[in-house]
Amino acid sequence: MNVRRRSHRARSIGRLAHVHTSGNLEEQTPRTLLKNILLTAPESSVMMPESVVKPVPTPQVVQSSRRESSRGSLELQLPELEPPTTLALGLLAPGRRKQRQRLSVFQQGMDQGLPLSQEPRGNGSASSLTSSLNLTFATPLQPQSAQRPGLARRPPTRRAVDVGAFLQDLRDTSLALASPGDSLRTPVATLPTDTVLEDTQPFSQPLIGRSPSVYHSLPCLSHTEAEDAKRAVSHRTQSSGPRLQNHNPGKPTQLLAGKAKKVDALAVSFPNNSSAVSGEDGVEPLQDGVGEEAEERMEESLSVSKVVATTGTQGSVRMEKSKGHREMTEAAEAKEPEGSSGASLELASSTTEFLQARRPQFLEPAPPPSAAVLSSEPLEPLSTRLPPRARTPGPRPRQDPHKTGLSHYVKLFSFYAKMPMEKAALEMVEKCLDKYFQHLCDDLEVFAAHAGRKTVRPEDLELLMRRQGLVNDQVSLHVLVERHLPLEYRQLLIPCAFSGNSVFPAQ
Amino acid sequence: MAFSTTVSQRKHIKRKAPRGFLKRVFKRQKPHLRLETSGDLLVHLNCLLFVRRLAEESRMNAFESKCGVIKKEHVQAAAKLFFSPTQPELRGMKENC
Repeated sequence: MNVRRRSHRARSIGRLAHVHTSGNLEEQTPRTLLKNILLTAPESSVMMPESVVKPVPTPQVVQSSRRESSRGSLELQLPELEPPTTLALGLLAPGRRKQRQRLSVFQQGMDQGLPLSQEPRGNGSASSLTSSLNLTFATPLQPQSAQRPGLARRPPTRRAVDVGAFLQDLRDTSLALASPGDSLRTPVATLPTDTVLEDTQPFSQPLIGRSPSVYHSLPCLSHTEAEDAKRAVSHRTQSSGPRLQNHNPGKPTQLLAGKAKKVDALAVSFPNNSSAVSGEDGVEPLQDGVGEEAEERMEESLSVSKVVATTGTQGSVRMEKSKGHREMTEAAEAKEPEGSSGASLELASSTTEFLQARRPQFLEPAPPPSAAVLSSEPLEPLSTRLPPRARTPGPRPRQDPHKTGLSHYVKLFSFYAKMPMEKAALEMVEKCLDKYFQHLCDDLEVFAAHAGRKTVRPEDLELLMRRQGLVNDQVSLHVLVERHLPLEYRQLLIPCAFSGNSVFPAQ
Repeated sequence: MAFSTTVSQRKHIKRKAPRGFLKRVFKRQKPHLRLETSGDLLVHLNCLLFVRRLAEESRMNAFESKCGVIKKEHVQAAAKLFFSPTQPELRGMKENC
């Protein structure tokens, strides 16, 4: 049993950073652990996946509780010593808010009659435990955002405050009780990790800083924004993908509705966007797994709308949606920072939205002319939409055709070298080629002038190659032509006699 | 027949000469001169041989420094031989002259 518990623990460890397997739990049986959990009434929570979670194997619950960090030790002490558990839980509470909530809900559902008042701390601890348990067993992501993502995400801050104060009280009491130090420490140590592990948190904070930079750095091109947004979206989708998956079965519609509202509220100049988004969202939730995207898109639209409002480019938002595929990654990046404004879940939903938006490829009327241009873009195949974004959008640099021509020879260089090359080396080769062409032209001019001509003729070329040492008495120019040029060019260069007493090329 | 056709290529090396590119380059450099039709093909041939020599030289430099990757320094050292006064460039061909 212990082994099983440990295995369970390992699985949930990822989620419950604070969880530390403790040997104490091994002494207890799953039954006792579960009982402890039940006794400690969970905090109030709106989530109700617990009903689903309940049937989850209880031993898992027990194991998860063990994992939950020092909780393991706490759990053992649960029946005996509540303060320490509560302390640990209190410490963990901030990070585990969500889980605790869910757990609390679960707990409440399980035993309403349990004396909540008796063990307020225990509840906190139990809730944390149960929450952690629930997370570990059931789809951990589900409880967080599946049911009511919007609700789940918004309150966290509030709960943190409440719990924090509560926990502090607990700590004081526990300190007075001289609870085991490690239990206290571990929860503290795990707290930060918990916060990091939480599903919704990670995106909001780090991304906040990014979004402004991401958007402001980019020019007001719709492409760039769209691309960035898409990147952000894709990133978030990737990260939130697994979570979103869980949430999808939840209520994407709810999210969408919420987002639609948000979009409308935010609709500065993008009434179309919001409507389009909401419209899209409505369609998408129907699809499996699309709900995520819809949500993400909602988020994205919201965030994007915000950003666009700031940047003033609607089209980009729409473009982003329509060009979900490639821009998904970009949007993901952009979205993440925006997500901070909305819950990370929202961001995820927005990304999904983009993804979904991309599929339908809706074309919204672009109120601003730029938007119109952008909207026309979605018509173009997405594959063609990889124009240089961050660079000058207007006239392409004159160097480009020159570089493309040179790249032909650079590729030949890398082919002849038969070895991997560094990028710097390739650039060096380009420089060498430039210099070579200059030398070549100068030499040809000299030769032509020497012959009193203003046109460079093949004789000049042969003279040049002779001077270079490529052509000598043993190796003639024709030999080289035969060796290195394709047949078609050889026919053009080397005069050949044909029937009818004709020679081509004419001499 | 042609030596190059027998070379196996992992990547698709175009055998076509960028004739437009070559013409444009020549025109940019010497607008007062004209280049004949077959001239740019020979220019292309010259480029091929130049690139081949440069690559071989760089490869030898990389081997000498026991590097598995051709670095910028190798290419630079190889280019020095070509762009310094002409005689050193003919080092490989000097014996033939």
